[in-house]
Amino acid sequence: MTDNQEMLIQEAVEKALQGDMEAVNNIEDRVTRSKAKAALVKAKREAAKTSAEPSSEEKSEESAAESKPVPLSLNQKIAGIIASQFPGTVDEESSSETHIQLQPAKWFDIAQYLRDDPACLFDSLQCVTGVDLGEESELEVRYNLHSMTHRHAIEIRIECARNNPKVPSVETVWHIGDWFERETYDMFGIEFEGHRDLRRILLPDDWEGWPLRKDYEVQETYHGIVVPKVKEGWE
Amino acid sequence: MGVVQGDQMVLNIGPQHPSTHGVLRLKVVTDGEIVSDITPIIGYLHRCFEKHCENSTYEQVIPYTDRCDYIASMNNNFGYVVAMEELMEIKVPERVEYIRVIMAELNRIASHLLALGTYGLDVGAFTPFLYMFRDRERILDIFELTCGARLLYNYMWIGGVSHDLPVGFVETVYNFLDYFEPKVQEYNDILTYNKIFVERTADVGVLLPEVAISFGVSGPNLRGSGVKWDIRKDEPYSIYERFDFDVPVGQGLVGTTGDCWDRFYVRVLEIIESTKVLRQALKDIPATGDVHQALPKKIRPPKGSIYRRTESPRGDLGYYIISDGSPQPYRVKMRSPAFTALSVLNEISRGWMLSDVIAVLGSLDIVLGEIDR
Amino acid sequence: MTVDQLIDWFPISTTWPGLTFLLAVLICAVPVFLFIAVYALVVIYGELKISSFMQDKVGPMGQGVGLHAWRWGLLQPVADALKLILKEDIIPASADKKLFILAPFIVFIGAFIAFSALPFSQTLIIADMNIGVFYILAVSSLGVIGLIMAGWSSNNKWSLYGAMRSAAQIISYEIPAALSIIVVIMLTSTMSMQGIIQYQSGFIWGFLPNWLIFNNPFMFVAFFIFFISGVAECNRTPFDIPEAESELVAGAFTEYSGMRYAFFFLSEYANMFVVAGVAVTAFLGGWQSPIPGIFNSPAWGLWWFMSKTMFLIFVMIWFRWTFPRLRVDQLMSICWKGFTPIALMNIFCVGIWYLILG
Repeated sequence: MTDNQEMLIQEAVEKALQGDMEAVNNIEDRVTRSKAKAALVKAKREAAKTSAEPSSEEKSEESAAESKPVPLSLNQKIAGIIASQFPGTVDEESSSETHIQLQPAKWFDIAQYLRDDPACLFDSLQCVTGVDLGEESELEVRYNLHSMTHRHAIEIRIECARNNPKVPSVETVWHIGDWFERETYDMFGIEFEGHRDLRRILLPDDWEGWPLRKDYEVQETYHGIVVPKVKEGWE
Repeated sequence: MGVVQGDQMVLNIGPQHPSTHGVLRLKVVTDGEIVSDITPIIGYLHRCFEKHCENSTYEQVIPYTDRCDYIASMNNNFGYVVAMEELMEIKVPERVEYIRVIMAELNRIASHLLALGTYGLDVGAFTPFLYMFRDRERILDIFELTCGARLLYNYMWIGGVSHDLPVGFVETVYNFLDYFEPKVQEYNDILTYNKIFVERTADVGVLLPEVAISFGVSGPNLRGSGVKWDIRKDEPYSIYERFDFDVPVGQGLVGTTGDCWDRFYVRVLEIIESTKVLRQALKDIPATGDVHQALPKKIRPPKGSIYRRTESPRGDLGYYIISDGSPQPYRVKMRSPAFTALSVLNEISRGWMLSDVIAVLGSLDIVLGEIDR
Repeated sequence: MTVDQLIDWFPISTTWPGLTFLLAVLICAVPVFLFIAVYALVVIYGELKISSFMQDKVGPMGQGVGLHAWRWGLLQPVADALKLILKEDIIPASADKKLFILAPFIVFIGAFIAFSALPFSQTLIIADMNIGVFYILAVSSLGVIGLIMAGWSSNNKWSLYGAMRSAAQIISYEIPAALSIIVVIMLTSTMSMQGIIQYQSGFIWGFLPNWLIFNNPFMFVAFFIFFISGVAECNRTPFDIPEAESELVAGAFTEYSGMRYAFFFLSEYANMFVVAGVAVTAFLGGWQSPIPGIFNSPAWGLWWFMSKTMFLIFVMIWFRWTFPRLRVDQLMSICWKGFTPIALMNIFCVGIWYLILG
């Protein structure tokens, strides 16, 4: 690493710490840019540590029961509540402060609990996203829940096997689940058990395949009409 | 699906029909004139928006978002751009923020004018439709002045906007507002308080708040039922916190809270609120500034995902974006408000007559481009 | 009594009475048919232009002399008529052919034969029957049969809906219309059209023409009820549920194209003229001049009748572009729960008025 490069990286990192990402993004050389980004991440982490330490000290002084050094995010709090009510369903390692990872088995009961429990009151299912985590990996369904009374929101992710994806349906808990799950089924092939009318919603009923999966191959013809292929990237 | 009784008739409305707001097919089971079940069949306008996003770069997604809800393109862009900027932690200059708010509010007015005009047309009033379109044309002229396009703009980019405001823009919009604000009173006289219109829409298709929330309905449809929920106030984005405007809520002035008239009236009031926001934004907009200043050279968001909602004229427009660190999105899911609004159609129009189904469908203000994507 | 006069005019009337009668009828019928055609063109153009001005548009326009018909697009309705005549005549394969072809004619006949009792002027009336007004009310119900035939024979659920609604509407609204006419008959003690108009000659209160509408306050109510029921009978907005464009495409006429559709169209406008004509005769003095005593030659009579009728038709067009449309059950409840009781009360009140005030 030459001196010039070092200085460039240092300048860029300083600017980025003040909020201007352009200096880092503008670095032409790929290697230098990635080094700058790594340095930036390191600098940010150190800055976070120094600002978190005083607050963690306060927290541990205040409450003996509170064992974590950083304040819990809403997702983590709710994960704790779910884990205590339905033991064995929360996947602790994959959950984070932005989402809760659940096992599919008791999802219906958990959903009802989340909707009815006075501390949670998640009466609004905002978005159901199906995700294909990669060609060798599994499928996942992500739910964004929101509470109109408490005005808070969480995200729940449920993984399911690629070959026979099954997730319990929540369409009786939140009525919009009906159409959202039909759309996820249409695009990914994830079967929602307990859904009373699971059929395709956007594509014709006799379409073959699950389009949004990463390994999707477009069928050649549909009722004799040639299906145009999707271009990979832009050349 | 299901067994049809002997005295029931299965009727098919659409996909080609003068008042289904796009290519929508409704399978209606009626007993005489009373409707017992409606099944909306969608997918005629499905253009694989989400699959396209996975094969384009982040900037190339923006014109696709335009085409989803083609009536309120600026708001679609806005939603996507706000989500991306939150993911990448970009802060845009002040002038860009003001420009975006002005464009979004102008587009909100244009979209509501179209919704109200076509609703009058559905109910049989031919003339207000033309008056509202005349005013909508003036807004589209303002857009054409700025970015050259009347309907699909590709205007808001990640980190900025595509074109700066032209010379004389502020005066043009002030002139438009001075011309337009008295017109809203005119529309109230012609249509909103017209006895026949009130008879057609009051107490029809009542949407209860709990039903609305369970079905994920949002925007003017939810506010018409009495729930005060507006993302611009409750989960503010951009600079909406600086503006002083009200959130109109349906109160059942001429019928029940949550009927078609309330949803209609909420939209009329929202037009007035948007003009207020516009006036404030025009007063405070910084006179100079480079709109391309914060555009990132290469858009490579950090790995992660984000779900962000913004307020489009139809409700909560949500974008769930998953990034894997490459210049192309891994997954973009657009949560469209009209999708949820259409799902509630069966619930609220059962037991009413065929004409009321058309009235209820019009009051939900759906755009098929957004539903099918 | 034009047919009778024509019969007397023919020198061969005593030798071949049948032939003379036929000739006389033809000579009267053909101009009426031509009049309806020309009048339809005028009214279509008027509707386009009036609606355009009300909607901040310009309507049919031309640029310069020639086929564009000057600046006002006067040839537009002619172009419309030509288009309808030259269109392909499509009969749906599963439609009931005989009824399908017959329906437009029956609807047109219902409107056309009412013209024979309309008093265009003191001397221009095809048949001055002593039951003139009664005849018109009776004959205008013929259109319903044609409408139901059209809806049924199209073999299309939408057409059936439209036809059913239309039949219910027309039959219901004939009741308030007839009840309002009864008030007129009570006052004039004659059902003959010319008789009713002749009753309305002279002055009332010194300066107003003695039209029945000024006779007593209840006549205003009767006029409004009659006029609005007439608008409903013509299937015009706000009562155009049978042809509600945004719901049923074109209602009972969805499957009709070309000249058959033109016939329905024509009969709707003819109906409008009949309704306006009866309203003018019964309430607004017919061919009487507004300043009694002057301008009352037969030629002027024709002018007054036509201008009053055209004014009422203008009001009908005005209604169409101003009001939204009523729903079927609201329409029916207005008729049965609103108009009919008021019309009955009217008869009662006018009777009392005359009993007390002579």
